[in-house]
Amino acid sequence: MDPLVLGGIVALSTILVLFSGVSVALGLLIVSAGFLMIFDGMRSLELMPEILFGKLDNFALLSIPMFIIMGSSIASTRAGADLYEALERWLTRIPGGLVISNLGACALFAAMSGSSPATCAAIGKMGIPEMRKRGYPDGVAAGSIAAGGTLGILIPPSVTMIVYGIATETSIGRLFLAGVIPGFMLVGLFMAWSLYSTWRSGNTQRLSSGSYTWAERFEILPRVVPFLLIILGVLYAMYGGIATPSETAAVGALLCLLIAMVIYKLWNPRDLWVVLRDSTKESVMILFIIAAAGVFSYMLSSLFITQSIAEWIGTLDVNRWVLMGAVNVFLLIAGFFLPPVAVILMAAPILLPIITTAGFDPIWFAVVLTINMEIGLISPPVGLNLYVINGIAPDISLKTILTGSLPFVACMVLAIVLLCLFPGLATWLPNLVMGGAM
Amino acid sequence: MAGQSAATIAKTGNNPFLRAVAGLSTLAGWCAAAMIMAAVAITCQMIVIRFVLNGSTVWQTEAVIYLVISATLIGLPYVQRLRGHVNVDLIPISLPPRARFGLAVLTSLLSISIMAIMLWYGFEYWHFAWDRGWRSDTVWGVRLWIPYLAIPVGFALFLLQLIADFVALLTGADKPFGLDL
Repeated sequence: MDPLVLGGIVALSTILVLFSGVSVALGLLIVSAGFLMIFDGMRSLELMPEILFGKLDNFALLSIPMFIIMGSSIASTRAGADLYEALERWLTRIPGGLVISNLGACALFAAMSGSSPATCAAIGKMGIPEMRKRGYPDGVAAGSIAAGGTLGILIPPSVTMIVYGIATETSIGRLFLAGVIPGFMLVGLFMAWSLYSTWRSGNTQRLSSGSYTWAERFEILPRVVPFLLIILGVLYAMYGGIATPSETAAVGALLCLLIAMVIYKLWNPRDLWVVLRDSTKESVMILFIIAAAGVFSYMLSSLFITQSIAEWIGTLDVNRWVLMGAVNVFLLIAGFFLPPVAVILMAAPILLPIITTAGFDPIWFAVVLTINMEIGLISPPVGLNLYVINGIAPDISLKTILTGSLPFVACMVLAIVLLCLFPGLATWLPNLVMGGAM
Repeated sequence: MAGQSAATIAKTGNNPFLRAVAGLSTLAGWCAAAMIMAAVAITCQMIVIRFVLNGSTVWQTEAVIYLVISATLIGLPYVQRLRGHVNVDLIPISLPPRARFGLAVLTSLLSISIMAIMLWYGFEYWHFAWDRGWRSDTVWGVRLWIPYLAIPVGFALFLLQLIADFVALLTGADKPFGLDL
């Protein structure tokens, strides 16, 4: 059978199996086993456990549980509320300071915790009622938090970027740096939209209110600065060439746990177990998908599907930007239904040859892909953040949250367009810090 | 970050088999969490030796890798019990109860079959390593059957939890896909 036709059949069966509600990792194994059995015979199945184990046999993977422990120990504390308070107290003089401090707190907390739903819950619980009380429109209040929460997969340290780095064998250090400027750009776009739409709604007189003494402003710092220092320290150690991402992440995980115990009095073994349980649950889930996706991509290349698709794209006489557009639409649709990590792991082995053949930079593409995945987090039907917001602010209807989030989706699309026009936004910083082309 | 549904842990009712499997899976989860914490500790120890004491490390990197792999494989049944393995539940949610039940039976059977296959060949792979005394080609030269043991053990426990979930579905102890709608 022609590998391209076969590729189409594999794609279709994968979609069917995944939509049946079976877990993603098992679904990938089921599809792989099915096609290997039909086209390579029963004996090819005996390789599956070996490939699965081999895929996990990689020191870089250690950074995944480590960054997750870092994030969930921070998320288990009141750090989110404190961060919000701190920014509120410091930024209150700026017009629209409240929505700016909310978005800032989202960006920082998302970076620290690496979790979108945790960010929405932690910042939104305080931020949404406060914004509504001071006259911000419901849609802006809900949408800004939902959108702000998605920044965690773009701003370093990001587990999603690590997974991309592992799946495509690109430098995790470069990927982290590539996300920084686009991350700030997105925050800026979010802030600009929030201020504009609040101003348009005619509530400008309420935009700045509340004042704090300097004592109040400094009093809160000791509770938020340590976590920020750890994150900065981890990033510094990585880029100073002092240690690998996995090693620094392990130290970061230990320090975050200790700080959570010392500053936030997380002494109760039961509370500690919750942190550890959630980290284990999330790590195992991601690592198993990585392993299963490894088997899946082995099946694809063993049936010559990956190679033929790359070749086929090479012979296609289409504009590379049309190709990039098509890839983005595909990712967008996949992101509507699947968590970012699963999309990256399934798509990377097929898309990367296409992207590099067409002359795109894989580091730059990682940023475009990640912003694309952020859209999926605040779009129906799965859009986890929307439901988290709905959970913490039940009196805002899902429809208001949805329409409130739409302009932020437009900001993300705008960011992707800007990245296409100015690729340097993603590539300049990594090249500056880590030297020129790879 | 993931899109898993907020469904709570798998229900066991008063069925002794379900409760025994749930206990085993929870134990496996503790082991997995302990292995991840051990990986944290060993990595930190390695950093102290390498960067503070300027010494060289022999076994740490390999040990950490095997710990993380074992944690992943042994943790599978526990994550299944917590319903932590991400799935796309869009279609199950939109189906009427009877069709949803049917789909749940189908996906359970598929999951059980694939893990049975993986367990079978996983055991074979481990047995090879044991029989032929394979060692890793590093300075440490660890006997590979030890880390490989996580494959049959993890898969067996995972299979057991999947079977328990299937039993819970058939006996009505748990709802299809854990959905309460």
